[in-house]
Amino acid sequence: MSTATRTRVPIKAGFFSVPDDPTTPPKFLVTRCDSCGEHFWPRRTICARCLSEQTSDLEVDGRGTLYSYTFVHFPLFGSMNVEHMEGYGVGQVDLPQGPRIQAPLAGKQGDFRIGQQMQAELDTLRQNDSGHDVVIVRFRPIEEQS
Amino acid sequence: MKDVAVLGVGMYRFGTWYDVSNATMGREAGMAALRDAGLSFRDVQAAYVGHIFAPVMTGVRVMKEFGLTGIPVQHVENASATGSAAFREACLAVAAGHYDVVMVLGFDKMTQMIQQSSAGTSAENLEDAILPAAFFALWATRRMHERGMRAEHLASIAAKNFNNGALNPMSQRQPDKHITAEKVLGARMVAWPLTTMMSCPIGDGAACAIVGRADLAKKLRPDRPIVRVTASSLQSERYVPGHLFVGPVVGPAQMTIDTSKVVYEEAGVGPQDIDLVQVHDAFAIEELEYYELLGLCKPGEAEGCIERGDFELGGRVPVSTDGGLIARGHPGGPTGLAQIWETTLQLRGEAGKRQVEDAKIGLCHMMGGGSVCAIHILERD
Repeated sequence: MSTATRTRVPIKAGFFSVPDDPTTPPKFLVTRCDSCGEHFWPRRTICARCLSEQTSDLEVDGRGTLYSYTFVHFPLFGSMNVEHMEGYGVGQVDLPQGPRIQAPLAGKQGDFRIGQQMQAELDTLRQNDSGHDVVIVRFRPIEEQS
Repeated sequence: MKDVAVLGVGMYRFGTWYDVSNATMGREAGMAALRDAGLSFRDVQAAYVGHIFAPVMTGVRVMKEFGLTGIPVQHVENASATGSAAFREACLAVAAGHYDVVMVLGFDKMTQMIQQSSAGTSAENLEDAILPAAFFALWATRRMHERGMRAEHLASIAAKNFNNGALNPMSQRQPDKHITAEKVLGARMVAWPLTTMMSCPIGDGAACAIVGRADLAKKLRPDRPIVRVTASSLQSERYVPGHLFVGPVVGPAQMTIDTSKVVYEEAGVGPQDIDLVQVHDAFAIEELEYYELLGLCKPGEAEGCIERGDFELGGRVPVSTDGGLIARGHPGGPTGLAQIWETTLQLRGEAGKRQVEDAKIGLCHMMGGGSVCAIHILERD
């Protein structure tokens, strides 16, 4: 686990929020089409569905439903975290607004089942040269649902 | 598509050839195709060249191996569908009347890409955490949930392709013993439920097709049937809800349905008329899904068809007759052209021990990451 005092930076900017308070879950940075109402992650300028250029950016909660999952028996690429060395879960999670997000999962193979509720969290991959924690977004099954 | 034929095909066997260059593999595949067509490089009026992992300019440079005649040489890249996309460009150019004889050459050294880690992967990329195997494993888990598929079905597909590969001298994996589903299930797990033996290997290789006017085929080789390209389609993704913009290798299943609809219409045939099929079976779950998406069986029937052996050699419609990506291999650039090589030999009746009896119509399907779907239908006169 990362220490609360270290600054966290996203592996790539513009995809999810990185709250200052480590106990606050991240939000997804999405775009809503003002013409047809479709939501997209990541953000975009032109609606992929109706081609409208009238779009708005917003942040949505990182809660959704597990559409599918697997467990990869290789170390997570680019990670120095020992937890990632023996493998990692991967899943696709449907946000209630529409976007389907593919991301690593926290937990073991037996922890996952299709249809369960998931919560996004930030996961530290490594420290960068400035001593900041480089974080990626992943999903964890919500305990009370199982 | 009118009056376009495959005049000749050639391959450099797929494998892990650390000491063999793209130039050598490309030259040997190209010269084999020219000899097969009964042509010399002097007769080639244009070339379309495909590779994924080699640097820019490599295609033009490798073409110098055949001699410098000044012909137009065009690079084509479309990820895994590179060879198929180059083949399509050549067919369109011949159909449009621009050229009579065109060379399509694909080659790649995936072993070098792995050594140099130069495939655009970087630890700074959000998408690199997800291996292609993981993406397709998600298809498999979902299929288990929706249709009751079991890992044994995937193992059956992979075992079939290994055993087909054993009959193909150009296949990367040529097991000397019969491969069972149990053996595939027992291989190392990559991303549950996919094992290494349900996944294509890393490899090098080259493949070439000479495409030209159909009337030339009869003149050049009156001793054998003409293999015509009767339909070609290449499509990118159409938006459907739940579309994954980050991380996926290939897009919605709808793309294969849409692309196949176009080729069936263009060729004036239906899936029930197809005698043999090659698909993008980089992972066994893909082949299972494509049975249904290409209309070889109805949605939900794939598992039952696998249990009955419908897609084995000697079955209702053999799929991945040359071993597919899983056994024959998938270096990248040449993969789609290896499908053309196999289908052409099958339609001529020259496929040896893996020959599909009286094969008249073959279909070649490729996916390219990003993503695109390319499908061709070849027919024997």
